[in-house]
Amino acid sequence: MKRWVLLAAALAIAVLAAAPPAARAQAKDTLVVALVSHPPTLDPHMHFERVGILVNINMFDSLIHRNTKLEFEPSLATSWKALSDTQWEFKLRKGVRFHNGDTMTPEDVKYSFDRVIDQTKKSPQYGNIRAIKEVRVVNPETVHIITDKPFPLLLERLVFFSIVPKKHVEAVGDQAFGTTSPAGTGPWKFVEWKRDQMIRLEAFDQHWRGRPPFKNLVFRAVPEVATQVAEIKTGGVDIIRNVSADIVPELKTHPQAYISSTPILRVHYLAFDMRSAPFDKKLVRQAANYAIDKQTIIQKLMGGLGRQVATTVQPLAFGFDPEVKPYPYDPKKAKELLAQAGYPNGVDITFHSSSVPNRPEFEAICQMLTEVGIRTTPKMWDPGPAWNKFFQTEGKATNGIYGTWGNYSVFDADAVLHPLYHTEPGGWIGKWYTRVEGLDKLIDEGRSSVDQPKRKRTYSQIQQMIREEAPTIFLWTQFDTLGISKKVQYAARGDEWLWLFDAKPAAR
Amino acid sequence: MLTLLVRRVVRLVVVLAGVSLVTFAILHVSGDPVSLMMPEAPEADRVVLRQAMGFNAPLPVQFARFLANTARGNFGNSFFHRAPALPLVLDRMPTTLLLTVLAMGLSISIAVPIGILSAVRRNSVFDHGATFVVFLGTSMPVFWTGIMLILLFAVQLRLLPVSGWESWAALVLPTLTLATASTPLLLRIVRSSMLEVINLDYVRTARAKGVSEWIVIWHHALVNAALPLVTVAGLQFSLLLGGAIITETVFAVPGLGRLIVGAIRQLDFPIVQAGVFLIALIVVLVNFAVDLLYIYLNPQIRVR
Repeated sequence: MKRWVLLAAALAIAVLAAAPPAARAQAKDTLVVALVSHPPTLDPHMHFERVGILVNINMFDSLIHRNTKLEFEPSLATSWKALSDTQWEFKLRKGVRFHNGDTMTPEDVKYSFDRVIDQTKKSPQYGNIRAIKEVRVVNPETVHIITDKPFPLLLERLVFFSIVPKKHVEAVGDQAFGTTSPAGTGPWKFVEWKRDQMIRLEAFDQHWRGRPPFKNLVFRAVPEVATQVAEIKTGGVDIIRNVSADIVPELKTHPQAYISSTPILRVHYLAFDMRSAPFDKKLVRQAANYAIDKQTIIQKLMGGLGRQVATTVQPLAFGFDPEVKPYPYDPKKAKELLAQAGYPNGVDITFHSSSVPNRPEFEAICQMLTEVGIRTTPKMWDPGPAWNKFFQTEGKATNGIYGTWGNYSVFDADAVLHPLYHTEPGGWIGKWYTRVEGLDKLIDEGRSSVDQPKRKRTYSQIQQMIREEAPTIFLWTQFDTLGISKKVQYAARGDEWLWLFDAKPAAR
Repeated sequence: MLTLLVRRVVRLVVVLAGVSLVTFAILHVSGDPVSLMMPEAPEADRVVLRQAMGFNAPLPVQFARFLANTARGNFGNSFFHRAPALPLVLDRMPTTLLLTVLAMGLSISIAVPIGILSAVRRNSVFDHGATFVVFLGTSMPVFWTGIMLILLFAVQLRLLPVSGWESWAALVLPTLTLATASTPLLLRIVRSSMLEVINLDYVRTARAKGVSEWIVIWHHALVNAALPLVTVAGLQFSLLLGGAIITETVFAVPGLGRLIVGAIRQLDFPIVQAGVFLIALIVVLVNFAVDLLYIYLNPQIRVR
């Protein structure tokens, strides 16, 4: 007996001693980022995945950049102006090099747009820039972009629209360009990609901004949150995204890591089906808005990482009107309105959600509604195929759904108003759920002009209208929360980008 | 012997066709990949894409097409990766197989000696200790074991990397996690089948002849106790392939399981079909190998 115990102990010690030290302490000049997954391709025009955008922006430049204050800033275009409602002029930066050594020309710019506009290539980004009719090369430093109708979102769309080297793409082919030979003008160039394992990039010596502070940039795919947290604590990775409220305190006090958090464009809401009882009545919808104690939910369930909003148009977006105030928490008033609407004894309803990370908030909301008499059954769905199917069939006719909308990173009121509230057949949930007289017309008005002061007035009008009509319960805007190693100096951005050119080794 | 082989091959084809049919059916009732691919596009654009992808044909026609293509080794292009599905899946195969084989090897090399010892020293402290560990191992879900091992060996002791697949050190924790799930049952089987044979007459005879205890146990007893072990090990292998999916997620291992889970979320039919097909093929082949081992271990089967 004793012999066996001794043998086992000796074996265990031998195994542990033989294992290499796990101190995979990354070299000082390497920055490692953990993403939950890898994009399908590194071709910046052939996907529409957040994780793909995060990798692409560090390899490719667009015509326009957004700085940390989220203002437009010159990038590959040094200046731009609208020549008319449908024609824009862009002056290009001179002497910009691609990673393969080619110099950027207006032909490359035109080619980049053409390959997305060309519908045979089936780019998922086509819908973003479908308003662009033509890109015209005027002279070696100038291009004109011509739209088929006034397109106020053009500059927004250009912030992530990568310029690719025409000759190189044509030589290697689309498939190889997305997997083994991507090349852009950005701060880092491609080294290797092991799918679902790591994307390795290296600083580009001839980048026009100069060299980035970190020589190597690695994007690892780490799907499990607990694993990501363990990695950042042990120095295996330097940046993790979407740190949830329950993990924030742990990382805040950790000797190796810190938290950087900032409000982003993603807004949370609960959309009513306005076509059927009880939410065909304005008073019931208003009652539901009065019933939610948003501050308590933000403080108690979200670790303070949220900010309540008056409508789904939020402070970061163009067109936001600070004069429109959030619904206060007033359960008494909610009960009164409900009685006035003809439900003195309350009403039974069901709300649906597939947003697993926001389950506690969703259930709290349902409980608060129940307390004022809107007796709500919360129904959670797996976010996979089951939800997808529900959403396309029965989901079209239920009392309502909890949702979040990221505005596709477009800082403009239209990016949330159109999908949520416009009833045109091609729209998103608005076409099923929302019925507010005159709202469609106002949304159309806002998106068909490039006269910004005029648009701002239109959006003020819309915000007053939707606050009054309450087609959704207006909740809060989400925060982007990064966990960052103390070896690295970086701050979360309002557009959820990881613009790692701004990351620096921390002075210690 | 030959008829046995032929029968097995026929069974293999039938199983694979069945698995394909079930996968195909489940996938096609689970949702519309086109609306996932173009969430915001107008319906008219979606109709065009559905047509281009052949989704508007009746299901039986689609299945016939799928079978014909599969027979030629063509699973189609992944919707998500926009590249042929089979190479993408094959690319991930070695990682998952390596993980599974390592875990299986570790399981067997723990289960056999400890199981034998438990049987030989029945009701000793050692035996009770082993039973306790077995219960512990069976009760722990794989993802939890994985995270606990990470916390202990990677975060607290800093002996091993948290996750990844870059070095041999990175293989240790996933292998250990997966082995924790499969060892207990194997250990129980070894113990109980050893107990069955160890008191039989031929073992007593061997002992009486003066054969050393070592040879009695390893040669005379274990070979006869091995049949149930082989059966269960074969079944466990399929379970491990399934467990690898979770282990791969926890330890960020770039294997087949993660590819398939991702593909299910994206309704990427070709990847799911190719992946499930390959896993089914492996399971069937492993079962086939188990059958062959039977014949080797038990000559009676050959006669029958």
